Amino acid sequence: MSAYIKKQVLLKAEHIQLNYGDNIILRDIDFEIKDIVRPGMQQGQVVSLIGRSGMGKTQLFKLLSGLQMPSSGRICTQDNQPVKAGDMGVIFQNYYLFEWRTVYHSLFLAARQNPKLKGKEKENVDAFAERFQLTEQVNQYPQQLSGGQRQRASIIQQLLKGSNFLLLDEPFSGLDVCVLDKVVELLLEVSVSDEFKTLIIVSHDIPACVAISDTVFILGKEPGKPGATIVKEIDLIERGLAWQKNVRHLKAFADTVEEIKACL
Amino acid sequence: MIMIVLQAVITLLLWQTASNGLIPPPGKVANAFLHLLSTRLLIDNLLVSLLLTIKAMLFSILITLLISYLSVIPFFKAMAQFIVKCRYLTLTGLIFIFTLLTKDGSQLKLSLLMFGIVPFFTCSFLAVILNIDKQEFELCKTLGYNNWQTLYEVIIVGKADQAFEILRQNFAISWLMITMVEGLNMSEGGIGALMIKYNKYNDLTNVLALQMVIFLVGLLFDYLLGSIRLWLFPHTKLQTQVS
Repeated sequence: MSAYIKKQVLLKAEHIQLNYGDNIILRDIDFEIKDIVRPGMQQGQVVSLIGRSGMGKTQLFKLLSGLQMPSSGRICTQDNQPVKAGDMGVIFQNYYLFEWRTVYHSLFLAARQNPKLKGKEKENVDAFAERFQLTEQVNQYPQQLSGGQRQRASIIQQLLKGSNFLLLDEPFSGLDVCVLDKVVELLLEVSVSDEFKTLIIVSHDIPACVAISDTVFILGKEPGKPGATIVKEIDLIERGLAWQKNVRHLKAFADTVEEIKACL
Repeated sequence: MIMIVLQAVITLLLWQTASNGLIPPPGKVANAFLHLLSTRLLIDNLLVSLLLTIKAMLFSILITLLISYLSVIPFFKAMAQFIVKCRYLTLTGLIFIFTLLTKDGSQLKLSLLMFGIVPFFTCSFLAVILNIDKQEFELCKTLGYNNWQTLYEVIIVGKADQAFEILRQNFAISWLMITMVEGLNMSEGGIGALMIKYNKYNDLTNVLALQMVIFLVGLLFDYLLGSIRLWLFPHTKLQTQVS
């Protein structure tokens, strides 16, 4: 296991509860995401929130993205400010893009939202499109893109907007094995692009999440209690499963996957 | 294509056999149609009607867009819904009030047309706004857009193609109303006024020839507006292909 230390808290969820009327959907959600520092390299964070279907993952995704407010509790970023819509980069499950804009226009508008890119929007759009192999598609409309190209366009759009957090809703859903590997590779590339870059993946795909993440939070129900909560946190760095290319071949990987399944 | 030609031939044959002196046969109507096309009378009246229709449509779409955009604010929602219900009012019963409110025949026809068109436009455009995918607003929020930016991106720019489509679809309503409005007020002429004159003298051949002109101009505008929409909003072509 390579040397690392966990430094300041980048995101903190405290006593989150979400009710719909009398129905408790989420309760007592508490977790922290800390900056992982590895000497000699830029290492971002990749955190997965795993839960069964219908467990409230989408609701938690919306709370984290600031698109919905919790019934109680708060989610704060590094500067202790509550998360609001626009603070997080959000990649929806269907990679939603403005259907009436070309890819270039969508990316340019996203870049314009980023004060750091003022006056350099075009150069940055071109650079990102090239880096993510989307140069040939920039003048096309979303309807003309394949699923993978849409996903990349969606990721670039949120990266250009400039948030350090990237929330991804079921990014592995419906992908075949080859495409899945490419997506994992792409996300890992994004995660090491900046020290504070933090990917939060909400998914039910256990092996894919374990293969890519440094920390896994399991969303589940506790016997006799209503609503879902974080039932377990697994530090994959401690288990030697983070930042490994062939992690799927390790016994600890299979054991961890089984352990998570047992918690769901 | 063969089917269409076949159906047209059958229709003409049926028309020819059914015309027993009371209804003019297709050949006679065709001759009258060709004669009408060559006269200054038709061109002048057609231009009057077209200009009035285009003017009324432009004003109507502006009013519709304003009402529809404002309808997202709760205060204006009820007003927009009331305008939609005005579809059930007849123009004939309101002509006297409009005559009192306007200065001349031209203004009267324009305001009557707009009063007739706006409720239909508003009805169609409100349906578009109500059916906007929630994710379009959510994407704007995640990109850090404020409310005005979101309104501009999702409703104004994002639905401009649909506003144009409404314009195209409702051109038929405007074109239908123009003959009625020009019939109500015959000052300045127009194809509606011309139609009334032919009707008055039971000149059914010219009435049918004029109906053909109205029908063909309607089809031409429908095609033109459709082509302009595809040119202005190329993504709509892709959506049509996908669906």
